[in-house]
Amino acid sequence: MKTIAALLMLAAPMAAQAQETGSLVRFVACPTYRDADSGRKSGCWLADDRATGRRWDVSLSPYKPDWNFAVLVEGRVTDAKPDACGAPVLDPVRTSRLLDQPCVRHMLPAEGYPGRRYKLQGRYIDPLSVPRAVPPGPYAERTFPVYFEFDNDFLIYQYDDYLLDKAVTWIRAAKPKKLVVTGFAATVPEMVSGQRIAERPEVARERAETIAETLRRLVEVPVEVKWQAGSQPTAEPDADRLPGQSQRRAEIRALF
Amino acid sequence: MRVPVRRLLLPLAALCAFAAAGARGDGYDRWWEPGEGRTFPVQLDYPNDQGTLRLLLTGGPLETKGHPFFEPLGPNGRACITCHQPADSMSLSAQTARERWDTTQGEDPLFAASDGSNCPTLPQGDRASHSLLLKRGLFRIQLPWPTREWNGKPIVPDFRIEVVRDPNGCNSGPKYGPAAGNLSVYRRPRPLANMKYLLAVGFPFDPKQGYALPLDPDTHKPMSGNLMADNRTGNLRLQMEDASSTHLAFARRLTREQIDRITDFEMRIFAAQQTSNRGGAVDTLGARGGPAKLRDSEPGQLGSIGEPVWSEFAAWEHIPPADAARLKPEELAFRQSVARGAKVFRDKTFLITDSAGINSRIGFGNPVRNSCVFCHNMTQMGNDVAPGQVDLGTTTMPFADPMPDLPLFRITCLKAPHPHYGRVFYTMDPGFGLTSGRCADVGKITLQSMRGLSARAPYFSNGLAKDLRGVVDYYDRRYNIGYTEQEKQDLVNLMSVL
Ligand code: HEC
Ligand code: HEC
Repeated sequence: MKTIAALLMLAAPMAAQAQETGSLVRFVACPTYRDADSGRKSGCWLADDRATGRRWDVSLSPYKPDWNFAVLVEGRVTDAKPDACGAPVLDPVRTSRLLDQPCVRHMLPAEGYPGRRYKLQGRYIDPLSVPRAVPPGPYAERTFPVYFEFDNDFLIYQYDDYLLDKAVTWIRAAKPKKLVVTGFAATVPEMVSGQRIAERPEVARERAETIAETLRRLVEVPVEVKWQAGSQPTAEPDADRLPGQSQRRAEIRALF
Repeated sequence: MRVPVRRLLLPLAALCAFAAAGARGDGYDRWWEPGEGRTFPVQLDYPNDQGTLRLLLTGGPLETKGHPFFEPLGPNGRACITCHQPADSMSLSAQTARERWDTTQGEDPLFAASDGSNCPTLPQGDRASHSLLLKRGLFRIQLPWPTREWNGKPIVPDFRIEVVRDPNGCNSGPKYGPAAGNLSVYRRPRPLANMKYLLAVGFPFDPKQGYALPLDPDTHKPMSGNLMADNRTGNLRLQMEDASSTHLAFARRLTREQIDRITDFEMRIFAAQQTSNRGGAVDTLGARGGPAKLRDSEPGQLGSIGEPVWSEFAAWEHIPPADAARLKPEELAFRQSVARGAKVFRDKTFLITDSAGINSRIGFGNPVRNSCVFCHNMTQMGNDVAPGQVDLGTTTMPFADPMPDLPLFRITCLKAPHPHYGRVFYTMDPGFGLTSGRCADVGKITLQSMRGLSARAPYFSNGLAKDLRGVVDYYDRRYNIGYTEQEKQDLVNLMSVL
């Protein structure tokens, strides 16, 4: 808990002023779609932080908004020019859809902004026809985290599939005796944009079971499921330095 | 194995006879009667309104006498071939159904009361009682409700179904409808060819459902998820058991040998348009349309990272002047239009909105800008490499066209509301929702093959589009695309030669 509090305190004073590169912003907002057009998947997602009055470009989130619902935005300020979408860029960034908070759909015209031409990059997997490189041993107990959007257990495309593909490739080579999947939920309420937000405790179990079911389809190692309400942030690199993201996770522990 | 030359020649001669005799409406050769014992040749051409469809059978000709795909297995006189007709690209066009009605005064087993009529309770001699098949090419599909898994395990759905409109009587009364433990929807037969593509597995995950692909109960390998409008059967064995017990009224279980022989045929048959009345052969001047390339290619490739979808026609983008001079001006114009159509299909983007499977739960965003190829992404086939359950709106209000002759159901989500439609909405066919039991899946229909389209109108699972122009117009309305007249024509021309 201390860690979250510390991180939040760090973030809070900065939110009031012009935010420095690398600082964390976290807010709830109705997203706006900007109809920029540089081909497929090139449109922009914008979100305004009501507390600071600033508009951010949140398009780089791996899981993008639905214009009918509010999003929980978590991201880090960059010094990238606002050229693509017309707002300063958060990167890394997450936009969790809050399906119980309806929004009026709003679309801006491109207004001269090009958006971002789509490029296959970052966390994506190869087709099955491409053999995976066997990760070198020696193999010993190891934990693989996978991450989720706020309050849900949905496996994020080009994020979790990538993390799972790596984990599974290792598991197939390492042949552990069993896998223990533990789901976590960030259940401690926090104030964000004047709202108390907390994940449901049940989502810890949902996450564990979703990942366990997926693992049972991919490897022939026995899978045990555990869950735990309450979650500490971690410094795992695949959570992209976003404390909230690191809390919303499941861990796959391979035991020998 | 060596086949004596003479044995090959005979079926080839037979093939030429079919091709010559097969003018539209020419009963015998075009229509494959169950149990008639014809030889299925290695190559078979059938004319249609747009040109010629070609079927290729790998592994040599097939004696259909005694073959379980071609023989009536059950008491109703039907065989698999009844509804999966070669001339119709192994589906069945509404036009063929009408021709059969006229030729047989409605006596063909095709019109069996159980599913070849709007409802068995209607007077079967009346043409009007078969209007869904005759007008829209639809068969009645009766499914258990609540739904069950393939192994009989009940699924507890997270939505309630109530019947709002029952124009045919098969969703109400003592025997029919959710209150009686079943539900009737009406669907087009899906084209049973080029099957290796529909069974191909590209990636280990189903990104739309957020799980690794489910495993085949027989082989324990991942399943493609691309069979049937509602994906209720994941492999060919489960599918043919479903088909034989319903469509054929076959009361026994298929034997291992029957299953193997049907599978063998299903895996050997390839079909695509081979010539266009307006553009000539689709595999000339560098183009690689037609079924031979389909037969010979590796299935399951994602167009965006390999051979672009419909790049079969790329060579027609720039036909060298010397070649162009040898074509009739209309032929040249048509070929150029097809090539443009392929580019429109891939490159002309629009905002895709409120389509579950794309805009939710997967995180592409709602809306997301993309083109036809976003969903129709498998090279050479145009189905979806990932399991293709997407809600295009073809069966669900407000996006579906009004179709007063189809039943309408009120769906009430009991847990989370549907991400796009809310808690209560209306559908003519819940599609994949009937299989998964999940409200968020209601209205999703598995993408089909896009080959042999000219031979099998009308289109979409419920026959909503009566022709290819109707398909393009539907998309134009649904996503407010704003295609120019030229772009529409180009798309239609492209699809007419697939
Ligand atoms: C009365 C007509 C009829 C008969 C007879 C029939 N089918 Fe079908 N077939 C259909 C319809 C309708 C569908 C689509 C069902 C759906 O999507 O729910 C279909 C779908 C299929 C599919 C799925 C193809 C795809 O791309 O998803 C296969 C495979 C198939 N049938 C095989 C068979 C076999 C094998 C037989 C014989 C045992 C058979 N069918 C008999 C009407 C028929
Ligand atoms: C959002 C995903 C998506 C996009 C984009 C999309 N389709 Fe489809 N398409 C589908 C689905 C789902 C079906 C099956 C619907 C049904 O049968 O009711 C389908 C079916 C079809 C069919 C019917 C095939 C048959 O056998 O009846 C054609 C033809 C087709 N699409 C062409 C196109 C064209 C042309 C475009 C671009 C204008 C396009 N599609 C864009 C999802 C999509």
